Order: sequence, then structure tokens, then C-alpha cells
Amino acid sequence: MKKRVTIIFPKTAIQIPLTYRLAKDFNVAANIIRAQVAPNQIGKLVVELQGDIDQIDAAIEWMRIRDISVYSASGEIVIDEDLCVDCGLCTGVCPTQALILNPETFKLDFRRSRCIVCEQCIPTCPVAAISTNL
Amino acid sequence: MKRTIAQINEKINNGRVVAWTIAETKAKISQLGIEKVFQQVDVITTGTFEPMESSGAILNLGHTDPPIKIRQCWLDGIAAYAGFGAVDLYLGATATADYNLNETDPNLREGVGWERGGGHVIEDLIAGKSIQLKAIGQKTDCYPRAMWENAITKENINQFYLFNPRNLYQNFIVGVNGGDRTLYTYLGPLQPRLGNAVYSNPGAISPLINDPDLNLVGIGSKIFLGGGIGYIAWEGTQHFPLQRRLPNNTPIGPAATVALIGDAKQMDSNWVRGCYFKNYGSSLMLGVGVALPVLTEQVIRNCAVVDKDVVAPVIDFSIPRRVRPTFGLVSYAQLQKGHVTIDGKSVRVAPLASKHRSLQVAQELKQWITTGKFTLTEPVASLPSDRTFVPQDTNRSSISLE
Repeated sequence: MKKRVTIIFPKTAIQIPLTYRLAKDFNVAANIIRAQVAPNQIGKLVVELQGDIDQIDAAIEWMRIRDISVYSASGEIVIDEDLCVDCGLCTGVCPTQALILNPETFKLDFRRSRCIVCEQCIPTCPVAAISTNL
Repeated sequence: MKRTIAQINEKINNGRVVAWTIAETKAKISQLGIEKVFQQVDVITTGTFEPMESSGAILNLGHTDPPIKIRQCWLDGIAAYAGFGAVDLYLGATATADYNLNETDPNLREGVGWERGGGHVIEDLIAGKSIQLKAIGQKTDCYPRAMWENAITKENINQFYLFNPRNLYQNFIVGVNGGDRTLYTYLGPLQPRLGNAVYSNPGAISPLINDPDLNLVGIGSKIFLGGGIGYIAWEGTQHFPLQRRLPNNTPIGPAATVALIGDAKQMDSNWVRGCYFKNYGSSLMLGVGVALPVLTEQVIRNCAVVDKDVVAPVIDFSIPRRVRPTFGLVSYAQLQKGHVTIDGKSVRVAPLASKHRSLQVAQELKQWITTGKFTLTEPVASLPSDRTFVPQDTNRSSISLE
């Protein structure tokens, strides 16, 4: 199965080679979608975990014991359909084509599974219809 | 066989009119051909929904007691022009709050976010919201009051109408950035090294593309403006009908424009939307619909134009000059595919005019006509067809899209 999570690790956990341990000990592939890591700061990762369901649960439990917080409500781009005017300007800055115009209706389609939450669409939107719940 | 606007109006009033949207018309033309379509349809409705920053609203507040001659005025902190009648105001779509050197938060001007501009205030007034007004007067014997503050809505002011000096561009440009840093433009962010391209016209369905020589619309033409009824008031500023044209008479870049007027009290904020382009400024997205009377077969021939036969110039914004270099012309069919090839490189393309909403405007206007809510008007005068595009500094190179 695949599970998208947000991981926040304290300064004490920065030394842990996290994705290596997930792969080696739990056979879980961690596809990093976003990362915010800097020396002596709290780190933040949005990853897509792929592996056996029990193994993923075990990996999450293993992280929690080490004071690493794991939130399954991962950051996502949210589009307010009442505000959106379907202009399509955001489709030009979206690197993964998660945002496209439907070729039939010309309405904006958001393909959530393709989104890497780069957030470039947020300041691009002229009517402030795009936000993140990160 | 020729038809007249009077005959079409009679059909509208009898409920016997046949109105098609421009998208329906183009589909029918490809099926049935020009002649059959001409026999079947009376009115073709077109629409667009795109940023039109050369827009604004006239407001008349009504007089206070004692009265005031307003010289400076702010609506929600955004300056409105007051240099005419005592309580007449003009609020421009791109107006922003005054710049204050003492302001500590760089994201705020006078406590108002940079993102909020005149366009947003116009949208809010149309939506029925209350707006804070602050006015400073020049004390005279006629108008002794020096200050006035109040909350206004569209219900407690006299006139509130849009009067837009330049709307409904007959074609526009495609913006790209050949430089090495992101540019923030009226077309949104343009990424460096040809990272993306933006166009801002719905293409072949665009109203004035289907009346390329402005034979059907003129001063006095009744239109759909922001969800209410409006009129073409005059030629638009920078009206440039002499733009170079393809054999189908569509212009290869920005060409004709019109000035529009209409009662904002009857508009719908769904079709009048304040907007903001990061690090450029605020503007107004506006829905405008034009009904084209099918008077002659030539009307249908003009409406037969499709996206592969309408082009726009690709302009490099990295050269901050009036005459910017171009990468040549590209068709709307290609632009709508989402990528174009420029200098041998595939570039992502995004629109800025909402094609979805442009089609909706045409649909709504068709509805108005078939239910007898909207009749057509005969233009009282033609729009000029011979305006050149004059630059301010004539000793330099003149504008050219060649």
C-alpha cells in the first residue's frame, strides 16, 4: 500500500538516516515529496511510504518511539471551487501536471495523486483560490 | 437574402428567435456549411472572461449635510479619483492603497494588504457588501464640510456604474521570459529561460475575433457586461484596428478595443472579480458577452474561423522596453495544447482568459435572448477603422509586431 505522511523530527533525531532505516529495517520505500532540513533545526518531510501495511505501521511506531512525529493528515493543496474561475494560469507553473484544464469543459482538474505540494500554484492564482492545509 | 436587426428583434419578442453560442455555431458550420447555417440562425452569442485592468467604476455618493466637495477619497483605504463633481468618484480597477513610508509591515499599505485593489472593492460593492469611505473636502462657501466618513453600499449611493476605457481586446499576446530571473507581470509569473508562456485571450471564440472588421458592433451596441446589461460607449484606448491581419482578417496581435459602460448595481459579482498578480498588482476579471446579429452570409463566414487560423505573437518580457523582441507567431490551437516550441525548446503554456467561463457567458447571453430578456440594438455610429498606434517618444522606433 501507499501512505502519504508528514514527518516532523526534533533536533535529536537529525542524525538518524531515516529513509535508509525505513528501507533496510521495514522494507518501506519512502518517496520524498518535500523536505525542509537544515543544520540544528527541526526537520520536516512529506513522504509517500510504500510497502506492506503492517510494515508501514511498524515503521511509524518505530519513528514515534524516537520522538519523531508522524501525521497522516499530510499537507495537501486545496482548491476553493467557489473562488476558482478556471482561468488555468496555475497549470503553467505546475511541474507535475497535477493541475490541468479538462480538454472538454476547460474546467480546472486537480489530480491530487500527482501533486508534490511545491506550492508554486498558490501565489500564481490571481483570485486566491488555492491554499495548503500544511 | 439579408436580415435586419429589427426583424431579429421581432423574432426575439415573439419567442421564435434561433440563437446559438459561438461554439455551437462553429460546430454546425463544420457539419452543415456556411449557407445552411445562415438559413438557420438569427443571433450568435460570444463571450469572454479575462482580466481587463483598464476598468473602473463611477460612483456618486449623494450630498452630505453640510455638503462636501471631495478632493481626496479612499474606499477601504484605496484611493478613488475625486477631481471632478463634488461627490463624484472614479475607482480604478488597479488602484491600491496609498504607500506609507512609516508603515512597518512591508506587506501592508495603510493597513490594507497589497493584494487588495480597486477591482476587489468593485466586486464587493456589487456583491452588496459594505465599504468604508473616507473623504477629505476643500472648504468653500458652497461646500463647507472638510471631512466625511461613512460606510457605503450600492444601495445607499446614487449612481454606481462601470465605465471601462479599454476592454474586450481583439486578440492579445503570448508572454515569455528569455531572461534569467522570474518576472512578475500582468500575465502572472513568467519563469526564466522560457520556463513558461501565458496567453490571455480565448482565441477563436473571442467576441471581436468573430467580427474582425467591426461591421456588427459599434457605439451603442447593447452587450452582456458583468452579468448585467451594458453598452459599447466608444472606441477603447489603444484601439488599433490597423494591426496587421491574416487573410481571414483576424489581427496578428492586439488590435481593436472598446470602452464599455453599464449599471454595476445590476451586475453579478460572479462575473466581476477582483484579482491580483503577484508583485504586479491588482486588476479586474470581467465577463463580457456580445451578440452578433446574423444579417448576411458574411457574418457566418467570419464566425467560421477556428483556433488554428487565429495567431498571437510570442513576446519576450525580459527586455523591459516598449518594443519587445518577439519569437514569432503561434496559433491558438497550438497554445491550447499546453505547450509550444520556441527557439527549439518545448515550453509549457497556460491561459489567463477562462475559456470555461467565456463559454458560460455566451451560454448565458443565449439564454437571455431566447427568453426575450435581451434584444439587439442598432449601433448609432461605427467604431473607427483607421486609428494608428502612436508612441509617446516618436523619435524612437515605432511599435511593430513584424
